Amino acid sequence: MADSESGRPPAVEFDAVTKRYGQAQVLDGFTLKVQAGQTVTLIGPSGSGKTTVLRLAMALERPTSGDIRVFGESVVYDDPARGLPISKANAGRRSRQIGMVFQQYNLFPHMTVLANLTLAPRTVLGLRRDEAEELAMEHLADVGLRDKSHAYPGQLSGGQQQRVAIARALALRPRLLLLDEITSALDPELIGEVLEVVRKLTRTTDITTLIVTHEMRFAREISDRIVMFDRGEVVEDGLPAQLFTAPSSPRTREFLHSILDH
Amino acid sequence: MSWDWRYAWQIVPTLLDGVAQTFLVTLVSATIALLGGLAVAVTRWLSPAVVRAPLWLLVELTRGVPILVLLFFCFYGLPGLGLRPSAFVTGVVVLGAVYAAYCSEVYRGGLASVPPTVWDASAALGLSTFVTWTRVILPTVVRANVGALGNYVVILYKQTALLFTIGVPVLLTNAQVAGYESFRYLEPFTLAGVLYLLLNLPSVWLVRRLEKRMTRGGF
Ligand SMILES: Nc1ncnc2c1ncn2[C@@H]1O[C@H](COP(=O)(O)OP(=O)(O)OP(=O)(O)O)[C@@H](O)[C@H]1O
Ligand SMILES: [Mg+2]
Repeated sequence: MADSESGRPPAVEFDAVTKRYGQAQVLDGFTLKVQAGQTVTLIGPSGSGKTTVLRLAMALERPTSGDIRVFGESVVYDDPARGLPISKANAGRRSRQIGMVFQQYNLFPHMTVLANLTLAPRTVLGLRRDEAEELAMEHLADVGLRDKSHAYPGQLSGGQQQRVAIARALALRPRLLLLDEITSALDPELIGEVLEVVRKLTRTTDITTLIVTHEMRFAREISDRIVMFDRGEVVEDGLPAQLFTAPSSPRTREFLHSILDH
Repeated sequence: MSWDWRYAWQIVPTLLDGVAQTFLVTLVSATIALLGGLAVAVTRWLSPAVVRAPLWLLVELTRGVPILVLLFFCFYGLPGLGLRPSAFVTGVVVLGAVYAAYCSEVYRGGLASVPPTVWDASAALGLSTFVTWTRVILPTVVRANVGALGNYVVILYKQTALLFTIGVPVLLTNAQVAGYESFRYLEPFTLAGVLYLLLNLPSVWLVRRLEKRMTRGGF
C-alpha cells in the first residue's frame, strides 16, 4: 500500500498469469504483488506450482498468458498491449535484477568457488578479473566461506555449496532474490547455517526476497508476509503471526497440519 | 633365416621417419575428429530438423562404410571426378571424418546428459548463449567424456596404419618398404609392432590421467 502511494512499483507482480504444461494447468489467473524490500514466503502442498511461480519470475519459463513485471518492467513482453515477446537484450537486462537459488545448489562443478562467483560479473557486467574477485571474496565472507574460494563444489558439504550458491546469486547485486526450497536437499544438521545466511541477508539489506520453503518456523520468523498457495491459486495471504496461529482457510489449516505432523 | 641385428639397426632411421609421420597424421586427424565432431554435435543440437536430418545421414554414412572403402573411394575414385587430393590429405581427412562421426556421438550423448539444473543456473545468472556454451556446457561435456574421446584418439592412432594402402609414409609403410627392398620382413615388421606398442602405452596412460584429472571436483 505504502508503495503504491509513493508510486514505487512492486518488486514483482504476477498479473493474471496462466501456465500450462501441455494439458496440465499449473497456474490459472495467478495474481500476486510483492512490495520492494519485503520478504514474502510462498507455502503450499507439493505440486501446487510454487517452483513454477519462481521460474516464471526468473524468466526460466514463459507464461501461457498474463504478464509478470519486475520493478515495473515486464519480463514477458516488450509491448504487453500488442503481445510482442521480450527481446533477448531486454530479457537479459531485466533478469539481471533477479537472483535465484535452487534446491540442488546448481553450482558449476568444473569451476572453483571463485570462478563460479566471478563468471557472471565478468561476462555479464564486464568487470575486470581483479574487481570481480575482490567482490566475490566479499560475498564469500558474507556467507562465511572466504577460505573456500579455491575449492571445487564437489569438495564442499551441501550446506557450504548452498551458501556459495547464495553468494553467487548475490554477485550480480540483484534487487530481487528468489529462493526455491534451498534447504530441502540438505542434511538436517546443515540447514541451520544456510537459513542463518538468509536471515542475515534479509536483516541487513533491503533486497526483496521471495521464498519457497517448508521450514515453517523460519518462514514465520523472517517473513513480512506469507502466501498460502494451492492448485495454482492463492488460498490465503497475510501476516505470519495471523496465518500460522489462526488460519482463515480450511485448506491452510489442513496444510499446516500435514506439515507439522511429519 | 634368423634375426639380423645389423640389418635391424640399419632400418631404424627410416622406421623413425615413419613414427614421425604417424604422429603427424594422428595429430592432424585427431584434431579434425575432436573439433569436427564437436561442430557436428553442436550444430545438430541447435539446428531445426531440416539441418539435423542430412547431418544425421552424413554421420551414419561415415560410420557405416569401412574406412578402407572410404580411403579407396577418395584416393582412387575422386580423380575420376577431376579431384586429386594428395595421399596425406586424403588420409587425414578420411580418418578425421570417420572419427569425427564417432566423436560427435559422444558429444551428443554428453550434451543430452547435461543436467537441466546447469542450464537453469546459466540462465538465472544471465549468461549469454556464447558464454553458456563455451564456459559451462562444453567444459562440462568434455570433462565428463574425456575418457571416451581419448580412447577414440588412441584407436585412431592405430588405424593410421591403414594409410599404408594409399602410400602415406606412416610407420607400417616404411617397414613394408624396408622389407621389400632387402627381402627381409622379420625385422621391419617386428620393430614396427614394437614401436606401435611403445607409443601406445604412454597415450593410454595419458588418457587415464586426463580422465582422473577432469573428474576432480565432484562429477
Ligand atoms: N516442465 C514441466 N513439464 C510438465 N509439467 C511440469 C513441468 N514443471 C512442472 N510441472 C508440473 O506442474 C505442477 C507444479 O509443479 P511445481 O514444481 O511448480 O510445484 P511445487 O509447488 O514447486 O512442488 P514441490 O513442493 O514438490 O516442489 C506439477 O504438477 C508438476 O508436475
Ligand atoms: Mg518446487
